[in-house]
Amino acid sequence: MEPVIDARGLTHAYPDGTTALRDVDVTIRRGERVAVVGANGSGKSTLQLALGGLVAPSAGEVTYFGETTDAEAVRERLGVLLQDPDDYLFNTTVREDIEYGPAQLGLPRERAERRVAALADELGLTDLLERPPFRLSGGEKQRAAVASVLAFDPDVLLLDEPFGAVDAHYRARIRDLVTAHDGTVVLFTPSLDAVPEIAERVVVVDRDGTLAADAPARDVLTDRDLLSDVGLRPPTTVRLFAGLVDDDAIPLTVAAARDLLDDARSALDPQRRR
Amino acid sequence: MSGVLARTVETITGALRAVFAAERIADADGFLQRRDPRVALCALAALALGVVLTRTLGVALCFAALTAALARLSAVPLRRLFARSAVVPLVSALVVLPQAVLLPGDALLRVAGLAVTDAGVAYVLLFTVRVGVGVALLSLLVLTTPFSAVVAALRDLRVPVALVWVVAVTYRYLFLFFDELQRLVLARNSRTTGETGLRGGWRDARRIAGTFFLRTLDRGERVGRGMRARGGARPPSPYGRSRRLDAGDCALLALAGVAVVASGVMRWSP
Repeated sequence: MEPVIDARGLTHAYPDGTTALRDVDVTIRRGERVAVVGANGSGKSTLQLALGGLVAPSAGEVTYFGETTDAEAVRERLGVLLQDPDDYLFNTTVREDIEYGPAQLGLPRERAERRVAALADELGLTDLLERPPFRLSGGEKQRAAVASVLAFDPDVLLLDEPFGAVDAHYRARIRDLVTAHDGTVVLFTPSLDAVPEIAERVVVVDRDGTLAADAPARDVLTDRDLLSDVGLRPPTTVRLFAGLVDDDAIPLTVAAARDLLDDARSALDPQRRR
Repeated sequence: MSGVLARTVETITGALRAVFAAERIADADGFLQRRDPRVALCALAALALGVVLTRTLGVALCFAALTAALARLSAVPLRRLFARSAVVPLVSALVVLPQAVLLPGDALLRVAGLAVTDAGVAYVLLFTVRVGVGVALLSLLVLTTPFSAVVAALRDLRVPVALVWVVAVTYRYLFLFFDELQRLVLARNSRTTGETGLRGGWRDARRIAGTFFLRTLDRGERVGRGMRARGGARPPSPYGRSRRLDAGDCALLALAGVAVVASGVMRWSP
């Protein structure tokens, strides 16, 4: 698979002297589902901004689609969702905010309107479209921000904590939209519970801004020592089943855990076994 | 935090948010709301130019009546329009008030030994009405046309991109910054008990001003990133709401054209 984002030697220090990233090499390939995880303050958001071309790193370079190092040249192909929805929603109505990206990036109006209507329906925003974003609740703002980035249907999604203050119902809707996205997805999150359902590969950022691991999701999510070293807790199902079954058999999702428990119950119950 | 700062912040933020509430009027079904945004922008700007040109109180009052009629046809409550437009003319009246005694003319009355002349009063009245009607016409545009439509109309009318960009970004950042200030005051209030008094209020104001400045810079930078993430580095290009001009559009343009020409002719005719 060809790389869509290829970062080499990324280092970034803020003006106050804080070094958020240290010599990070990461390659995201077309169609991949990757989670970038790390503790608070580890530099995940800085990495997202650097990969999205929204922060110029102090050192290193990012190449997009094997073509260019200028993110603005491929802006319509990159969907970057920032961590705080208030940074994203600045128009007078929710509709204008969702339309902002498609309009700026030159999508035909009719196509954008269809897309806005579909996303609003999916994310429960239809009745909120004409409301000013500042009047929305935290979860509603988050849903509007997610709709804003999906509205122009970018090739690559770089999502920083897209579930924010969203309730369980819309969390599942957002997860479904993200998994159904016909492109590359990179999820940045400190919470590992959402990772197995979205990502097949996990990149771990250590607290000093270096990369601690870059491996298949199962290898990382079941490595309790690694996660403990970088200040993360394994997903709930891993904590629950660790020691009870082999690491290879630990279920990573609730659905997989249910299947495992069903199998175990069948094995124990003679009637069910018959 | 209690005191003057909190009250000031709440007043300013409330006023700014009232502008957002104006979007509801912009969605109503009225004469100006049905107009093409380009026509509404040009016609109301032309009427404002017309009233600025006039040197006759009667003509200025005609423009005032026209403005009231347009507001009525557009379901804009006159009281609300007046409230939104009153501050600027009142301040400008204060500025030109000395002209009531400085301009030569027949004395109408004497105040503290100074003669208030008919020409002076006429000048102050004319100036105030002109400013008031001009502001009311611009308020009418804001109340009846969504801001994004105004920006799109400016682009359609080939206004320089840099100017459109400045208007659009200033408008958006203004609200964000006052929201930021309100959040700061709320955060402070949530951890303050009892009365701080005037001195305490000013002390808090001093501290908050510094933090507000830093947070504003930070917020501005983050919102800038949010805009760039969705193509904000490119010139503003909201979807235009303009369409084919209809009879109402043409009538409004004609009315504005006649009004501005008539005002100009009356001003410069010998």
